[in-house]
Amino acid sequence: MLFNKRTERIFIWVFFPLALLLPLFLEQNTFYVSKLTSIMIFALFVMSLDYLVGRCGLITLGHAMFYGLGGYLFWMLAPEYTEVNFWVYTFYVCMIAAAIALVIGFLVLRTSGIYMIMITLAFAQMAFYFFSDSIEFGGNDGLFIYMKPETSIFGLSLFDLDNPIHFYYLCLLSLFNTLVFFKLLIRSRFGRVVDAIHQNPGRTTALGYNIFMFRLMSYVIASALGAYAGYLFTLQYGFVNPSMLAWTTSGSALVMSILGGMGSIYGAILGTFVYEGLHYGLEHLTEHWMLFMGILIIAMVMVFKNGIAGYLEKLLEKRS
Amino acid sequence: MFKTNTLRTAVAASLATLTLSTPVLASDEPVKVGIMLPFSGVYAALGDATRNGLKMALQEKSSELHGRKIEFIEIDTEARPERAPEIASSLLDRSKADFIIGPVHSGVAMGMLKVLRGKDTVMIVPNAGAGPVTGPLCAPNVFRTSFSSWQPSYPMGKVALDKGYKNVVTMSWNYGMGRESLDAFEESFTAGGGKIVKQMLVPFPQTEFQSYLSEIASLKPDAVFVFFAGGGAVKFVKDYDALGLKGKIPLLGSGFLTEGTIEAQGAAAEGVMTTLHYADTLDNELNNRFRTSYKEQFGKPSDLYAVQGYDTGLLIANALNQLKGDISDRDALINTMANTTINSPRGDFTFSKAHNPVQNIYLRTVENGENKVIEIASPMLEDPARGCKL
Amino acid sequence: MTTSLFFVQLINGLQYGLLLFLIASGLTLVFGVMGILNLAHGSMFMVGAYLAWYFFEHTGSFGISALISAAIALLIGIAMERGLIRHLYRRNHLDQVLLTIGMIFVFNALQSLLWGNDPLGVPVPQALSGAIPLNDVLEYPIYRIFVALLCIAIAFVMYYMINKTRLGMLIRAGESNREMVECLGIDIRRLYTIVFAIGVMLAAIAGVASAPMSSIMPGMGEHVLITCFVVVVIGGMGSIKGAFVAALLVGLVDTFSSVLVPQISSMMIYILMAFILLIKPQGLFSS
Repeated sequence: MLFNKRTERIFIWVFFPLALLLPLFLEQNTFYVSKLTSIMIFALFVMSLDYLVGRCGLITLGHAMFYGLGGYLFWMLAPEYTEVNFWVYTFYVCMIAAAIALVIGFLVLRTSGIYMIMITLAFAQMAFYFFSDSIEFGGNDGLFIYMKPETSIFGLSLFDLDNPIHFYYLCLLSLFNTLVFFKLLIRSRFGRVVDAIHQNPGRTTALGYNIFMFRLMSYVIASALGAYAGYLFTLQYGFVNPSMLAWTTSGSALVMSILGGMGSIYGAILGTFVYEGLHYGLEHLTEHWMLFMGILIIAMVMVFKNGIAGYLEKLLEKRS
Repeated sequence: MFKTNTLRTAVAASLATLTLSTPVLASDEPVKVGIMLPFSGVYAALGDATRNGLKMALQEKSSELHGRKIEFIEIDTEARPERAPEIASSLLDRSKADFIIGPVHSGVAMGMLKVLRGKDTVMIVPNAGAGPVTGPLCAPNVFRTSFSSWQPSYPMGKVALDKGYKNVVTMSWNYGMGRESLDAFEESFTAGGGKIVKQMLVPFPQTEFQSYLSEIASLKPDAVFVFFAGGGAVKFVKDYDALGLKGKIPLLGSGFLTEGTIEAQGAAAEGVMTTLHYADTLDNELNNRFRTSYKEQFGKPSDLYAVQGYDTGLLIANALNQLKGDISDRDALINTMANTTINSPRGDFTFSKAHNPVQNIYLRTVENGENKVIEIASPMLEDPARGCKL
Repeated sequence: MTTSLFFVQLINGLQYGLLLFLIASGLTLVFGVMGILNLAHGSMFMVGAYLAWYFFEHTGSFGISALISAAIALLIGIAMERGLIRHLYRRNHLDQVLLTIGMIFVFNALQSLLWGNDPLGVPVPQALSGAIPLNDVLEYPIYRIFVALLCIAIAFVMYYMINKTRLGMLIRAGESNREMVECLGIDIRRLYTIVFAIGVMLAAIAGVASAPMSSIMPGMGEHVLITCFVVVVIGGMGSIKGAFVAALLVGLVDTFSSVLVPQISSMMIYILMAFILLIKPQGLFSS
């Protein structure tokens, strides 16, 4: 069985059908559809981070670099006004991001712990300033993309990306696929070695595995998916901006991942929705939303020992 | 103080109710004014002031709105450009705002434009000076009631030439507003034979200026022209003085250098010369009245951003008045707005074809803790709106 | 670059570096002894600056304001440790990160509520105003020299405290073997409270000291936080000596790169950090 935890199954059976049907009720209000879409896109990003940090034990504060790269790479590769194929460019963007991740990972994975956090941050900051200080790449104010790709496969076009509801379903599909992908990866032999490396690197090396290669592969996969999320973000409004690469973006993703329950993967979706939901609700209530947000985060850390998913699991697994 | 306004509002409200109770075709629907400004973070003070000015104007003119009530929908942008498209969509699609006012930050403006250009709403920029708003990305439904980055800086070139400065060092942050300001100064300064010794671009939003100032001292230019705003402006002016440059190399700036920052800058600001489309000390009846009412209502002195917000309110009120409260015909609305003359505390101004203010630029110097107007550096200056197809 | 300009930039770099040390020292101390990564450290820098402004407005004396601000910061540190941080010692590092991020939110919101969002300024105290002429155009403010000397003095005090006092001995012992210290009957909890409080107080003092020469505004904490991290990591987490050397290095690199390679000056300290970590993955002076 792919989803082995009871809480996980409950979550999936509640979340995805709900998400599938919601647009039917929100037909009039494309704003909510778009808002949910952007939360889903970020949740995808947070899932990729959760895999890296929670499952592989590779703590990075520079993951947002790939998020931003997803957007900037698309801008760089795509022509200004001609429509291109969405799937083809997804391939291009993810492949190039993976290549970059290969190089960076090679340099970065030699360190560990706090030092890995800092060196990944260093690379992300360099990328941030590269785009922020350069006029050619729009600088601090960002760039527009005036074209939306078309999504035909062998002439059959399923989604019209200009339609917010179609785009919503595309992102929902991507979210689900990514979740399934990570679950499969975790259950595979590759995933089990990665788990072993996380728990006891010394022993795993003694067993003859090249732990560096496994870590590098995990880093590349997670980064490519992070870039895919950034690519979707950019497509939503046709706007790319250096803040996508900022350390605060990486920080936010980390917060959502920890909040949701590190390493559970589905917890990342939970954490993102809870955080964004709170942010949205609070900011529409009071100007000083930050105060309540901070207090709530502090409270949640104190109470939820393993994030929200961890808390729910403890609650529900006890019964079974 | 507050009572007078409550009284006025009460009277206006009763009049409005009376008008409504008679079978006259006044719309019951409120006019929806979406506000997307920073209410937290570095630019929060500017967001607050703009909102205050906007509401004050609409309150003052409430009797001229032909019975239309105003409903405000306010969202904090945190001055983060990546939130701009989402918030703008919210105001457009969810709230169905008739007017969307914002932003302070140019990056946010770019994001807003992406979503709002050509849509069924009127976007009014009460601050962001980014050139493209009334340049290559101009649109019929986009207005600006503040300035373009080119406007305040361009006239300073001529001022520098008149003062006999031949070699100038320019400095600013490396972002749109900074670069555009320095380019505008350079345009007029070099046109008259001046030479830019060096253009220094500091990474945005860094505020460590020591090394740059030391270099300026070694270059020994006739003057220095800068664009900085907010906290960065405070630090720059203080550092400039602390390093001993102030008395020896004249400091010129785009007006933001001394807007809202003089108190924090203290004595270091004295003698700094700037050009801007407004000054607190402008001695005209409207400005004096505005400053007094603002102080009364909000308990603190008004500033440039309050004026810009106020003028935005005037623009909306004016349109409602002229169209007798019926803004359903967007083309008529845009036409009315484009042909309005705003009687602003900064002086009267009209709109260019690109919907940017055509306004006076004043030369000011800091004297005894305020920006004293010396003269009009450039009367009714119109931004060339390069790239705008309107 | 002329020799005189070189010397001026050298002084600039060293002075900036010394201030960075003052800010970073608290962070590395707390991490070294307690293993806590306090992301709210930058917020304490901000709190110090704002308190300095507030008490200066009310007392008119910068000196008195500085003392009161430092005392309040110490109390805040004690409250933070006993109220919140203490509960997370047994939890993993990431939970601590999350907690301190929550605190950043709270501090920022309080700053906005209590003191508003306008940029504020504090004038340089009379006794320290004035400048020393360096050449025919440039002068060097006496206040900056004073702050540099203050940082050096605090560095000496820290060195003395850590190497020559009983408290310092406990700190060093706690850094290398927590459990053993507890077994020896030392109340490690009180030690932790003291260390944390000193750590945040140092950040606040740095904020107070830099108030007259900078702009007191929202977000000043986050801005300084990241540079602080770079310094601490280059120096080696937990090493105060390392933080000192790293701070000077970062100060010099930042200053000189802004004049020599302005196009990439913003990236330079990260390039430096990446370079050092690739050669010495634990930092320059790891304990």
